Amino acid sequence: MMSQFRSWWSAATRRTRFEDEMRAEMEFHLQARVDDLIASGVAPAAAQRQARMEFGTTDAIKDDCRQSRGLRFLDTTVEDLRFAWRMMRKTPGFTAAAIISLALGIGANTAIFTLVDAVLFRTLPLPDPGGLYFLAHGNGDNPGTSSNYPLFERYAALTEVFDGVAAYNTNGLKVSTADGIESVDSLWVTGNFHAVVGVPMALGRGFAAERDRDAGGSMIAVISDHYWASRFNRAPDVLGQPLVVNGHTVSIVGVTAPEFTGLQPGTRPDITLPLSIRVLDEKEFFDAHDTWTSMPILARVKSGVSASQALAAADVAFRQYMSEKENNWILQRSPEAFSAARLLPAARGSNSLRQRYAMPLIVMMAMVALILLIAAANVVNLMLVRGAARSREVAIRLCVGGGRSRLIRQFLTESLLLSVCGALVGFVIAMWGTSAIMAFFGTMEAPIRLDVTANTRVLAFTTGVTLITGLLFGLIPAMKSTRLDLTPALKDGGGRTGASPRWITGQALVVSQLALGVIVIAVAALLARSLYNLKTLDAGFQGERVLVFTLDSYGTGLEAERRRAVYTELLDRLRTLPGVIRVAASRSVPIHTSGNARALNLPGPPETMSQRSAFTNFVTPGYFDTFGIRIVRGRDFNDGDRKDGIRVAVINQALAKLYFGERDAMDQTFSFWAEPEITYTVIGIVENTHQMNLREPAPAAVYTPLAQSEASPWMNFALRTAQDPAALASAATATARAVTKIAVIRYVRTMEQQVNASLIRERLLAALSVAFAVLALILVAVGLYGVMSYTVSRRGREIGIRMALGARRGNVLWQVLRQTLIVSAIGIAIGVMASLLSTKYLSALLFGLSERDPATIAGVATALLLTAAVAGFFPARRAATIDPVRAIKTE
Amino acid sequence: MGKSADLLPGTLDMLILKAVSLKPLHGYGVLLRISQISGNALDIPQGSLYPALYRLEHQGLIAAEWGESENKRKAKFYSLTAAGRRRLREETEGWNRLATAIASALNTTPDEV
Repeated sequence: MMSQFRSWWSAATRRTRFEDEMRAEMEFHLQARVDDLIASGVAPAAAQRQARMEFGTTDAIKDDCRQSRGLRFLDTTVEDLRFAWRMMRKTPGFTAAAIISLALGIGANTAIFTLVDAVLFRTLPLPDPGGLYFLAHGNGDNPGTSSNYPLFERYAALTEVFDGVAAYNTNGLKVSTADGIESVDSLWVTGNFHAVVGVPMALGRGFAAERDRDAGGSMIAVISDHYWASRFNRAPDVLGQPLVVNGHTVSIVGVTAPEFTGLQPGTRPDITLPLSIRVLDEKEFFDAHDTWTSMPILARVKSGVSASQALAAADVAFRQYMSEKENNWILQRSPEAFSAARLLPAARGSNSLRQRYAMPLIVMMAMVALILLIAAANVVNLMLVRGAARSREVAIRLCVGGGRSRLIRQFLTESLLLSVCGALVGFVIAMWGTSAIMAFFGTMEAPIRLDVTANTRVLAFTTGVTLITGLLFGLIPAMKSTRLDLTPALKDGGGRTGASPRWITGQALVVSQLALGVIVIAVAALLARSLYNLKTLDAGFQGERVLVFTLDSYGTGLEAERRRAVYTELLDRLRTLPGVIRVAASRSVPIHTSGNARALNLPGPPETMSQRSAFTNFVTPGYFDTFGIRIVRGRDFNDGDRKDGIRVAVINQALAKLYFGERDAMDQTFSFWAEPEITYTVIGIVENTHQMNLREPAPAAVYTPLAQSEASPWMNFALRTAQDPAALASAATATARAVTKIAVIRYVRTMEQQVNASLIRERLLAALSVAFAVLALILVAVGLYGVMSYTVSRRGREIGIRMALGARRGNVLWQVLRQTLIVSAIGIAIGVMASLLSTKYLSALLFGLSERDPATIAGVATALLLTAAVAGFFPARRAATIDPVRAIKTE
Repeated sequence: MGKSADLLPGTLDMLILKAVSLKPLHGYGVLLRISQISGNALDIPQGSLYPALYRLEHQGLIAAEWGESENKRKAKFYSLTAAGRRRLREETEGWNRLATAIASALNTTPDEV
């Protein structure tokens, strides 16, 4: 087998040599025979003749020799490709239409698949990723990975099932550079992190045996390849260099390999520090049972130990821990989330991004698959039409014994060549498309970072799609075009009788295209309307002219009391900026992920405690005016609400209802579950404001004055402006810079940008699906136009005769148009039914409308019918303007 | 060439293998050798000689090498490979079995039935 391939390969790749040698060999044979004949007394001329006669036809023998080497297949393919290339060049319009259709279809598929691959399929570049698990908890669909250090220690003790247990916590750290302080995405990790996970290193070492409880003992850091490149320009002597992080000087001991970008797809932590440094600032961290932070725990299961054995051991430890009295409160509060340990495979990293984007990506993948089908149907149609034009050639080749399989192969070569050309153009479109999508993600506060360079899996996918498209959709026209009733085909160059099978295939294709088009466009319409509903939602605030930025002084040494002074000074200065109407500072702002929920002091069973909690925020006077949050009753805070005065609060209507029911909340007091002795007096009631995002209903909320709260190191400053708020961004930043040099100013944004960033998934879905819908509409219109044009040209003579017999032009036009509309109506009806059956998978992505929203579906059907009418009108008009005399004559 | 017999299908390959097993030969030499060892009794169709040689080379049963002919001309010489030797042995055995069987069948007299 191998030797045969080698012989074929050497003959195929060194073709000229093969041919030369073959010729030389045969010439030698003839010459030797001639010599022998002359020697035996034959005259030279006669000897030449006799030798040739004995040998036979050299060309035929050579051909047989080539076949012996398996070169015939290659020769035929090359011949077919040349022919296909000539056909493509001869009909540039056809070729361009087909290639553009396929390029858009294959390009869209490649682009979406690249994202699907990056988000859903990619395995972390680690040794034995399958042995790595997250130790999570909870029994619902949404297992939690929050933890604390004492729990980590319990798991770490399970050495009989785990080779190692590590934990990490994502954070933004302040790095002091020559240009000031910058915030860098970072990880706090346990001292064995890199060893347990098996992180590949480019330089130096990772953390293997750093002691966590040895506070300050390991003043070291590992940096990412990206940080090494961007900050150190890949200097080889980076190891040992100092970094000042959150005020601590650490020394770089390693650089991770470029392929490793952390355990959370979509993020890229640049600096990794041991937890022992964090404890320098948070002394209680290692023993705090009551702070559950987002700190995923990872374990490498011992080889020979099954996942279920490991889970059993972890579950015992977890239940034991949760039953202890320090932790029992959290179990009581959310029994669902803390009832049992869970083992989640970590081979593809943590699933936060997958969870958010799996469904949208699957929807997008389905849409692009439908688009490729519509595009391919167009190509089939075009090929059928061209097959019809070639029917005489085909008939002749069949008559002279050309062989049908040989012809089919010829047709398939053509369709494959088309789809390969389409794929090449499509690949360029896909690269452009994925980078456009990534730019979209770049507008978020924490941009989703994905490596979307084409890898082998993407290439394999595109190749597969290309071949399947080329073969499958080449086969239909190939079979149809070579199944001819020879006599009429030869007689007049094309079957012109009644409803030929080719024509019926064309109609069937148009029907299916329309049906698929309805689905694509309906999905797009539903998603676009959901986005519209979200954007026009009354969110309980007016954010049109509001600029917000975040001042982050965590870990910068700016002490709490000094912070308060900085905040006051900053507010005073911002207030004087030209164009500023109102300013305020607050811990949280609407539609921002940061927020704090506290349980209210209300009676009820412990498991419903989460329903009896309130979103809390502390704000300066003017917050409600700045954000346009309506004060329904009472008043805003003012400078009279001082630290030493009575504790006051503004609540929203939802909280008033939750806490006070039908009673009037004004001037009443309430308290929180954790501190029942501290009472707050309600001085005002404001409207409900969406806090986390627009989808979730507005929570019950408590606002307290900043003066009566601890000054948080994270504070948001908001400016209501007279004109475009974005224009004030640089002035606001400069003002903050002038007030404090050490705090980090980040995420300067208008409220509109922030709302848009919170809707990134919805906007991406709507933008992509609308683009796909437009594409589908164009492809359907082109397909319909093509088929109707073909129908008209095929029936030219018949129409001519009817007009000669007195049919009016209007009648002819209507007849052709009616045919288009009937075919379209059938397709649309099928599509509407299919949409009603399939859009139920969308419901989780929709907002404010049902997945069977009748108005949307009706609108889509109408739009398609109109498109069909327009696409069908032009061929119909051409039919109506046929000159009967010429049509009859030019047969 | 005197009285010659047509080749049975499939026997050409066997004869070529046999011919080149004695000593490396060029294509024309193979033709001469087969005539010689068959006592001029077999007529090789020249048109099928080269396709057969190419096929056998493709299958790795014979190997080709350019060399010099008796009268100092460049020629392609074929020799038997290890796989070819094995094949020749199998084919020879197979042929002998078949020939014996057919011969004994044809020699059967009415008494033996």
